[in-house]
Amino acid sequence: MSEGVYHPVLDPALAPPFPKAVLPVLRNPQLRKNVAHAIDVIQAKRGRLVAEKTDWQELRSAGAAIRTHALENLGTYLEQFEERCTAAGGTVHWAGDAAEARQIILNLLREEKASEVIKIKTMTSAEIQLNPFLEAAGVRTYETDLAEIILQLGEDEPSHIVVPALHVNRAQVREIFARRMGLKDLSDDPHALTAAARNYLRRKFLDIPTAISGANFLVAETGAVAVVESEGNGRMCLTLPRTMITLAGIEKVLPRFQDLEVMLQVLARSATGERMNPYTSIWTGVTPGDGPQRFHVVLLDNGRTSILAKTTERQTLRCIRCAACMNGCPVYRQTGGHAYGSVYPGPIGAILTPQLMQMHHAQTLPFASSLCGACYEVCPVKINIPEVLLELRSQVVDQERREAVRFFDPMYLGLRIANVIFAKAWLFHAAQFFGRIGLGLFTRKDGWIHSLPSVGAKWTQTRDLRGLPQQTFHGWWATRAAKPSGEAR
Amino acid sequence: MSAPIPSRERILGRVRSATNSVAKAHGELEDAYAELPREYVRAGRLSDEGRLELMINRLREYDAEVVECAPDELPAAIAEKLEASGKHRFVAPPGAPTAWLIPSAWEITGFEWNIDHGLTAAEIEQAEGVVTGAFCGIADSGTIVLHHSSTEGRRVLTLLPDWHLCILRASQVVETLPEYFRRCEQAPVLATYISGPSATADIEMTRIKGVHGPRFLHVIMVRD
Repeated sequence: MSEGVYHPVLDPALAPPFPKAVLPVLRNPQLRKNVAHAIDVIQAKRGRLVAEKTDWQELRSAGAAIRTHALENLGTYLEQFEERCTAAGGTVHWAGDAAEARQIILNLLREEKASEVIKIKTMTSAEIQLNPFLEAAGVRTYETDLAEIILQLGEDEPSHIVVPALHVNRAQVREIFARRMGLKDLSDDPHALTAAARNYLRRKFLDIPTAISGANFLVAETGAVAVVESEGNGRMCLTLPRTMITLAGIEKVLPRFQDLEVMLQVLARSATGERMNPYTSIWTGVTPGDGPQRFHVVLLDNGRTSILAKTTERQTLRCIRCAACMNGCPVYRQTGGHAYGSVYPGPIGAILTPQLMQMHHAQTLPFASSLCGACYEVCPVKINIPEVLLELRSQVVDQERREAVRFFDPMYLGLRIANVIFAKAWLFHAAQFFGRIGLGLFTRKDGWIHSLPSVGAKWTQTRDLRGLPQQTFHGWWATRAAKPSGEAR
Repeated sequence: MSAPIPSRERILGRVRSATNSVAKAHGELEDAYAELPREYVRAGRLSDEGRLELMINRLREYDAEVVECAPDELPAAIAEKLEASGKHRFVAPPGAPTAWLIPSAWEITGFEWNIDHGLTAAEIEQAEGVVTGAFCGIADSGTIVLHHSSTEGRRVLTLLPDWHLCILRASQVVETLPEYFRRCEQAPVLATYISGPSATADIEMTRIKGVHGPRFLHVIMVRD
């Protein structure tokens, strides 16, 4: 952000751990206010529209079942999609990882001799960090979604998957547009700002012959692709250029066209609190005389097959990127998205990011949750995010305690010692005895411990600790049993 | 060719081994799909009147302007809309009935029509308005469905002009989204679902009409 004190890092391999990344955000009251305002507006709208839907739970169950079925039979449906899309005039490419996807896209752009490309908002492209790669290779990228323009011109990063610039307010947008579009007299009225974006892009839509999109859904039955949007920039990119390149994760497949009757009902309500998003576009390969005459789909794995292989974690891939979980999350509401160090923030990011990184990075994310379960409750495809969070937490702990450098880590050392002590009653009693003496040194007259040295300070710097009582429960029980009933003290 | 075949085989191989224990055999896939729970509302519950009223209310909530007319009043209704628009240059899809193309049927001067027999984007961009039919209307969400037939026009035709007049017949309106899917005898090759005019809420969640698509949506509901 222009006046920002830090630049968010959304590459999980480079981003600081969540507890550290969150600090600059917590110290930025403007950003927190912007995030909280946006979240409150979306939540209120979503709440109203979900409440009016009498069959909401049935829709969720159907959505979950369709997505689960698609994932469990993904091989068949992917091949079917490839076959039908190809028959309709599209070309399907397969990319094992981000680097391969970037190279495929660059090669396609080179075949087109494209020096510029217009883009529909796609988080998958952000996931593979496509824009910096293309820019370095000499291809200028123009984001066309209003929020993405704000971020691109402001050299900022997305903090939400549906409303990526929700952390920026109108005054900040005005400053960015005035500076980057050379509009000195621009007002901060959202109408004027939107009009500025419309003028900025209108010629680009008509002049740049190559476009890149993501996909909300791929339909195996027909080989069609569906994109949902609000502004019409998507329709522009899907209609005017000569060549369209669509990047999609392999998990985006739906078995049949009619499955959209469930997905479209839950998606807009969950994402933006609308009964339906203003524009949904569905296209199948190439249609002579209508839209791009060259069409490529790049199917991206990039860690998805390793998630697919695990029973508990597989449900992560049901996600339809509606962002209801982050809108409902008490942690996200306080932190916004940048602290997650990934283009996928919030609860879904906390489970998706470390898995896409094959648990090599972002290990603090599964702990960035209070496990309150709000995310699970709102998820339109019933992803049990708390369940996956717990599974990943245990994997992180298993991973860490095997690391040699952690051998003398106070926490793991303490837990190993506790493991020995808790196994023997006499050791436990001895520990209680010495603990009472040891902690007694720190216990004030009011019975509370206000500060502890070393690792203990991790607790006492934010809260007090009750001192150990003079008598244990066992001790009390023994004295009680020795006395007649009714005189337990 | 840039797509290396090994990646395809490698990814599909990984998918197959990841889903080995849960994937259905080819013969069982259809049955498994048929058994997926679909207990959500799949048929409307409103009367014919109620359905149309809901559709019109939803469209109005989107700031679309809606008028109703009988089939024989349609040319007059179109003429009125065109005149009220203050615009002069219009485009229409190749299958548009001549009765829509005022003044070919009515003696009102000043309207210039360009029929899309392969107009360029620049030519369509010059138009101030477009008149089309539709495939279906969905009352529950106030959605207009285009399948881009010859009366609905190519996708670009309803995109570049700032003003869209859509002619929807009452018999085309269904109550719920699933009913629209039942109406599709086969899946459309191209489809656009329009639920209100182009909009954004990207700046402080303030809803702004008309970013890139048409800013003004008008609907004539023909009581057929």
